[in-house]
Amino acid sequence: MEKVVAVIMVGGPTKGTRFRPLSFNTPKPLFPLAGQPMIQHPISACKRIPNLAQIFLIGFYEEREFALYVSSISNELKVPVRYLKEDKQHGSAGGLYYFRDMIMEENPSHIILLNCDVCCSFPLPDLLEAHKRYGGMGTMLVIKVSAESAHQFGELIADPNTKELLHYTEKPETFVSDLINCGVYVFTPDIFTAIQGVLTHREDRANIRQVSSFEAFQSATRTLPVDFVRLDQDILSPLAGKKQLYTYETMDFWEQIKTPGMSLKCSSLYLALFKITSPQLLASGNGITSATIAGDVYIHPSAKVHPTAKIGPNVSISANVRVGAGVRLISCIVLDDVEIKENAVVLNSIIGWKSSLGRWARVQGNGDYNAKLGITILGEAVTVEDEVVVINSIVLPNKVLNVSVQEEIIL
Amino acid sequence: MKALILVGGFGTRLRPLTLSVPKPLVEFANKPMILHQIEALKAVGVTEVVLAINYQPEVMLNFLKEFEAKLGIKIICSQETEPLGTAGPLALARDKLIDDTGEPFFVLNSDVISEYPFAEMIEFHKAHGGEASIMVTKVDEPSKYGVVVTEESTGKVEKFVEKPKLFVGNKINAGIYLLNPAVLDRIELRPTSIEKEVFPKIALEGKLFAMVLPGFWMDIGQPRDYITGLRLYLDSLRKKSSLKLATGANIVGNVLVHESAQIGEGCLIGPDVAVGPGCVVESGVRLSRCTVMRGVRIKKHACISSSIIGWHSTVGQWARVENMTILGEDVHVCDEIYSNGGVVLPHKEIKSSILKPEIVM
Repeated sequence: MEKVVAVIMVGGPTKGTRFRPLSFNTPKPLFPLAGQPMIQHPISACKRIPNLAQIFLIGFYEEREFALYVSSISNELKVPVRYLKEDKQHGSAGGLYYFRDMIMEENPSHIILLNCDVCCSFPLPDLLEAHKRYGGMGTMLVIKVSAESAHQFGELIADPNTKELLHYTEKPETFVSDLINCGVYVFTPDIFTAIQGVLTHREDRANIRQVSSFEAFQSATRTLPVDFVRLDQDILSPLAGKKQLYTYETMDFWEQIKTPGMSLKCSSLYLALFKITSPQLLASGNGITSATIAGDVYIHPSAKVHPTAKIGPNVSISANVRVGAGVRLISCIVLDDVEIKENAVVLNSIIGWKSSLGRWARVQGNGDYNAKLGITILGEAVTVEDEVVVINSIVLPNKVLNVSVQEEIIL
Repeated sequence: MKALILVGGFGTRLRPLTLSVPKPLVEFANKPMILHQIEALKAVGVTEVVLAINYQPEVMLNFLKEFEAKLGIKIICSQETEPLGTAGPLALARDKLIDDTGEPFFVLNSDVISEYPFAEMIEFHKAHGGEASIMVTKVDEPSKYGVVVTEESTGKVEKFVEKPKLFVGNKINAGIYLLNPAVLDRIELRPTSIEKEVFPKIALEGKLFAMVLPGFWMDIGQPRDYITGLRLYLDSLRKKSSLKLATGANIVGNVLVHESAQIGEGCLIGPDVAVGPGCVVESGVRLSRCTVMRGVRIKKHACISSSIIGWHSTVGQWARVENMTILGEDVHVCDEIYSNGGVVLPHKEIKSSILKPEIVM
């Protein structure tokens, strides 16, 4: 029986300052999107692969930060999920190689590699089927984006018929292609041989002591440690055009979850996906015995929402939240234990754990997910007093706002 | 004798420094803020200090044990489960403050820096025989604070006026009190303000007296006042024991340099600078009106003024850092960068100049 193993790269704390202030007490991979931890979306997608044997999470966070989640999701999905902590930076491919013995434990025929901060529909069974048809070492999920935005990603050229990866370049300065790398791959165990090859080559080079002073002067980047292997530059680029790597194009949505603002957008994308794949997860209400629901909304079973409130579209409400009478919530994420008092309004915002919004308080952003202050973010335990307005601002944890603010970062 | 220090909450006004370290442990003039107060209390015979806090004390406890041992004074935490204001914490710590001696106890606001003339305050308290004594300090802009109106000759407090619109006096509450145990009978265990609810009642009975604080006073709970406070503190240090201050051809004005810090050639340090333990200041550096915390490296030719550089940060060669730049822990300013009032959260690298005051998260 052919077993499949999945590996999800989750990153680590010191790299993630872009996710502040939400990352102050929760590792980014566990931040909820559409009511489920960010990492649960790719994990659930992995579960759709037949013969999935194990899921590995690889990152730099302390083990204890993932211990609870990993054991509960293993139980829930009935598949072993393990968190592996990297002791130092090995690069996106180096990390995979470092844990190769564990990954190959059950002799899988295929390895799915995912990045936790990718938001997409994860069409993994289709990707795996395509890969088997192509018969190469690896197949990567690709998507067409606008020509202007392509430079932020890995751009690639694929053969229109064979779908082979012909050319790959990471974040190019000039336009190469509007087809980009989604950060979702399937490999055969040959990937480890390929990484091994890079490592050996590096070691050989390091052994050549004669480096001219001009070369030393030229090296703009810090010289990499010998065991640091990047998937894009060290594996994908060199192997392009050698009939080893192939592409599979997705027509669904794709985003990278880098900032809190983007997490709100991705939460909406997943809510829309739930409409199709798991409509039972979404809320419904008649406005009489339960709150009026507009569009896609997730409400945790333990949350209490007053029937006169109107919720949605694109709202996610976490556990133990209390939403008072006459409240209006549009396009927002409301985290655990928040209290929102009567007639308050929230738009394009993220309300942090245990925060409290007073009566007729108004918290809003302009909805520009990419702007620094486009989505209003309230950190943990922020109190917005009655009638106070907070617009396009970021508020750090434990603050009490008793005057209105606009376009501000409040420490 | 006993004392209570109102430490309070999360120290959000001193962020980003307080994102790494609880406020009482943030160093001021190379010594944790709270240690300045505890040492002064110990010097007048206080044997037990209660810290009233409203967050988890775990981080503090290790440091406190160290201070306890070094100073030979008992330090305990009294933790509020809900914010109790400025008087409520006294009710919470009642059992810890009262003993059979019936002696008065000190109450201090943890953000206050001054010469702590506690011995004089004890004398003043004994002399007037009232129930409570408070220190007041003269300020230029009294309407920013709560003004204490007193009878000129005796110091008896007549009333408190919160942020007065018209001039009623220029003395404000300095946040240092000496209270008889009887005061505790007036405070219920609920969120209470000592200035608005407790003191006015005592004043009405003619039992509250105010002493004008000799020397300097500053509330260093926010960066701007922290920097001004350092100037006042070093000035006072100069008058009392100038041996502690640095001297040399490259020192101007009042400068404190920890013995384990290294200063390079051709630097000009001062006035009003504190350089912490383990710091390395390379050659050709100019430092003025700034605090450099433990473990910082300032590279050659850099110029820093009116700023605070957080623990283990680095400032690059030829960098210019000024105008209330506050760097959190482990912040690295690259070579040749200019920061005009950048407020940078911990673990960041500054690769491009900050031209106007901005928070970098």
